[in-house]
Amino acid sequence: MLLDVSDLSVAYKGVSALHSVSLQVQEGELVSVIGANGAGKTTLLKAIVGWEPAASGAISFAGDEVTRMRTHLRARRGIRIVPERARVFTHMTVYENLMMGVYGLQNEVQVGERLDRLYDLFPILKERGSQLASTLSGGEQQQLSIARACISKPKLLLVDEVSMGLMPRLVDQVFELLQTLNREEGLTILLVEQNALASLKISHRAYVLETGDIVLDGDAKELLADPRVREAYLGV
Amino acid sequence: MQLLFEQLLNGLAIGSIYALITLGLALVYGILGILHVAHAGVYAVGAYVGLWLYSLSGTLLLAIPGSMIVCAALGVAIERFVYFPLLKYPPYVPLISSIALFLGLEEVCRIVAGPDLLTFPAHLPFPSFTVGGVFVSSTLTAVYSVTAIVLVFLWFVTTKTEFGLAMRAASQDMEVASSLGVDSQRVVDATFVIGSAIAALAGILVGIYYNQVYPTMGAMPAYKTLALIVVGGMGSAPGAVLASILLGLGETLLIGFANIPMPRDALAFIAMIVVLMWKPTGLLGRK
Repeated sequence: MLLDVSDLSVAYKGVSALHSVSLQVQEGELVSVIGANGAGKTTLLKAIVGWEPAASGAISFAGDEVTRMRTHLRARRGIRIVPERARVFTHMTVYENLMMGVYGLQNEVQVGERLDRLYDLFPILKERGSQLASTLSGGEQQQLSIARACISKPKLLLVDEVSMGLMPRLVDQVFELLQTLNREEGLTILLVEQNALASLKISHRAYVLETGDIVLDGDAKELLADPRVREAYLGV
Repeated sequence: MQLLFEQLLNGLAIGSIYALITLGLALVYGILGILHVAHAGVYAVGAYVGLWLYSLSGTLLLAIPGSMIVCAALGVAIERFVYFPLLKYPPYVPLISSIALFLGLEEVCRIVAGPDLLTFPAHLPFPSFTVGGVFVSSTLTAVYSVTAIVLVFLWFVTTKTEFGLAMRAASQDMEVASSLGVDSQRVVDATFVIGSAIAALAGILVGIYYNQVYPTMGAMPAYKTLALIVVGGMGSAPGAVLASILLGLGETLLIGFANIPMPRDALAFIAMIVVLMWKPTGLLGRK
């Protein structure tokens, strides 16, 4: 078990946003959490990465409890996040953004090799290396955010609403990339998405979150066929 | 012509000193979003501690680093014990505390060192020379050199080192920086250490430049630096330096050279109003 969230409750701005949520991710899996806006998906990721404190419950990662650990220490253990709206460092160059992804790891990560690999997947980042990240389009910023999170070869990648604000063509492209990273690098991914169809298609398993509770979970293909999911999230 | 040149040299020196004080304010605003008014108090403490160490040891080689260390510690203490617990409140709460702290530091200086004006009769071991009939004193060359060294050091740290990269990242998005392994506490500490140590340096330079140290010497910088970070662009260190140098030159030329009958300290605020009307993000500000 790579990630084990058990009975996690989180209050966001004084309001309870997650109630006793339990969720597991195995090594090598691509798991999504789908749900409507405000269901608590982002809060879940924030708690795992350490941006929001847990009110109760436990989060363990690779066998160690990390529930109260500070964010940068969780990052050192291999939890990385592609935050909502990419949140690249807009006043730094594309290359500097990537270098932030290996902050403190220059000796542990084969930086040159990783850069080559990521430039293969995201050729635009090589082309735009010396440009300020603010000059990138929304889709390019998402790519940079993914590359920044992946350059350190994390154990777990958290992805928050990566499809938001992207053109449909780009959404497919980004999801394909995530699938490639999962398949070829064995990267474990926990994906949080409003775009249920696109995320279920590439996932192994999924959880359905509704106003802070997990109401359904299982094999992604089965959920795709489940009438409740189809009606509520796939619009069919 | 000669007078103009002399005034330019003085203006540049005054601007350099403004830059040294304002840098700390810009760095702290950049990383915590707090208007660190008490920074001017740290600057005054730096002058006093420098003077005290100088009168004890008789050498600036001890007084300058000593005062920088004391101020760095004071800065970190302010951050840890005053600002950190208040970060969860709206920004006016740390601002009010900062103003109170500033007044408190002034009073501490007055109580410990007395209300009188003290002289700082140190000689800065820098060369003096004459260019085109204009005498450039050793104090002036000292101010220029120290400022240049500080600026080059800061430029090097922030653009050429990994930790500097992390400082810039954290000032843009602290949460994301921490999710990439940056210890935000260390970055904030380092910001206060650097800003406060530079303020100590500025305090000593001003003490020697005007040959005076007094409890309220931080009062003018306290509000002028606020205007300067607005003019430069909130949180932009290069903007703060540019605005400071321009203000130093502007004050000296407009009031000292052109003899415009206006209180010299008003210029900073006129500049601030003009900038707010014409380019609210400041000279080199971000969006």
